[in-house]
Amino acid sequence: MDANDYLNRVLSAQNLGEDSTELKELQTHRAEVEKLLCASFGSQPIIRYGGSNAKGTIIKEYYDLDIVCYIPSDSDVAGKALAEIYENVRKCLAAKYYVEPRTSALRLKGNSPADYMRDFHIDVVPGRFTDESQTDCFIYQKSAEKCRLKTNLDVHIAHVKGSGVIDAIRLFKLWKTRKSLSVKQFVFELLIIDLLKGMKSKPISDQLLHVWRTISEQADPIHVEDPANPSGNDLTDVMASVWPVLRGAATDTLNTIQWSGWEAVFGQVAATTSFTIAEKAQRAAASVNTPNRPWCPKK
Amino acid sequence: MKGFWHERNPGLLRTVEKEVAAQCSDLLVIVEEDTVRIRGSFPLMDDGMVLDRFLIEITLPPDFPESTPVLREVGGRIPWTADRHVNQRNGEACPIVPEEWLMWPEHESILAFLEGPVRNFFLGQVLVEAGRPWPFGERTHGVPGLFEAYGEMVGASDRNTILRYLDCLSKETLKGHWDCPCGSAKRLRNCHWDDLKALRKKIPPSVAGSALERLGGGTAS
Repeated sequence: MDANDYLNRVLSAQNLGEDSTELKELQTHRAEVEKLLCASFGSQPIIRYGGSNAKGTIIKEYYDLDIVCYIPSDSDVAGKALAEIYENVRKCLAAKYYVEPRTSALRLKGNSPADYMRDFHIDVVPGRFTDESQTDCFIYQKSAEKCRLKTNLDVHIAHVKGSGVIDAIRLFKLWKTRKSLSVKQFVFELLIIDLLKGMKSKPISDQLLHVWRTISEQADPIHVEDPANPSGNDLTDVMASVWPVLRGAATDTLNTIQWSGWEAVFGQVAATTSFTIAEKAQRAAASVNTPNRPWCPKK
Repeated sequence: MKGFWHERNPGLLRTVEKEVAAQCSDLLVIVEEDTVRIRGSFPLMDDGMVLDRFLIEITLPPDFPESTPVLREVGGRIPWTADRHVNQRNGEACPIVPEEWLMWPEHESILAFLEGPVRNFFLGQVLVEAGRPWPFGERTHGVPGLFEAYGEMVGASDRNTILRYLDCLSKETLKGHWDCPCGSAKRLRNCHWDDLKALRKKIPPSVAGSALERLGGGTAS
């Protein structure tokens, strides 16, 4: 099996089937979120789906669903100012979820005793359309220098979907997850797409090596542009803050591939067997030499 | 003891980094201000294959390895509930009663912690997610679970007896004229002297003291 066969197997192992537990759970919460938003704000908000599912970059190891809740430009149903809309959407979702406010999104987690703080991998992004055409949108930026950011979901989705390098993006997402790199996914995607311009037809292993080599050799952060707002969303600082770590990880990975091969980066791909993970875990537990029992300080 | 462990003992930090890099290449050792953390994707291995993965963060305490590392699952997969052995207040996982870990002969090795309590904990989580029981059982939550663990450590079941044993073992030296902690009212030298000396080899004074402290100063209620 050569490197490209191996990488394709890694990608296959990261597929989330339509009937997977993970996607079914996302769909259940998606319906619940829509119900909550409609109950509070009626039929005026435009509720749409973004994130990795919409872009085709979903991986099993790190998946999420972005639900945008955009209010028409002439409506005050969720408040007048962007901050008010953000806060009112948060309050509405807090009826059912533990809501973790992030810069622009509201991350939904469990708040019942059985699933307290379990991450449902759902971000709700409140915003308001800039005009009647309902294309560009303003979203609120909590504790950011600029509290209002213009964006366009369709442009973002089209940029990634039309890049022709979805497989590379998915593998880099897996790499980023495994290495715990805190680079913003969308910014990282923009970087990958930029670096792989003109390399769409190259084998996947060449694409990956090219990106890592370029990052590793570049002392200064590479500039990327938000296609939905090239002049108004300066990503320079975002990239600069993660560049040293990203560069270090890219250099380490190139060394790992050179000395230990690709499997040392993405791990072995399990052969398909009839055993479920739980059955395998049960067998693994049976051969533990030093078992111990978990405890919890509070009842 | 002043300063942080990694400043006092840079050799141990290098060992931690080397062990983690050699066995779990997706985990990174990060020194942030005064704290050493291990962060990344923990592979749940069986027979050379990855069964599953969990995003984790392990904080090595300022007096590592004299205290137990603190484990957190940071991917949001495991709810913060006592039934899943995660502290609801701060998300800290409780893979093992801390003093039990400090009694493991390899407790200074982070690799042993990853391959022992951490792996056992996540094997359990995979099984519990699938609706199965904890593979090695589970400790009762709260103080009763501590008494279970400490009782097994000292070989007693009565709470007051466990406390007396721990109190005895927390002293730097054992004295034969002390009352035997078993409650017989005999002198230690005429009762469980040999047993206590054997226990002392397994349970150092610092571990017994830490157990007493965790019990809130030694109340048996």
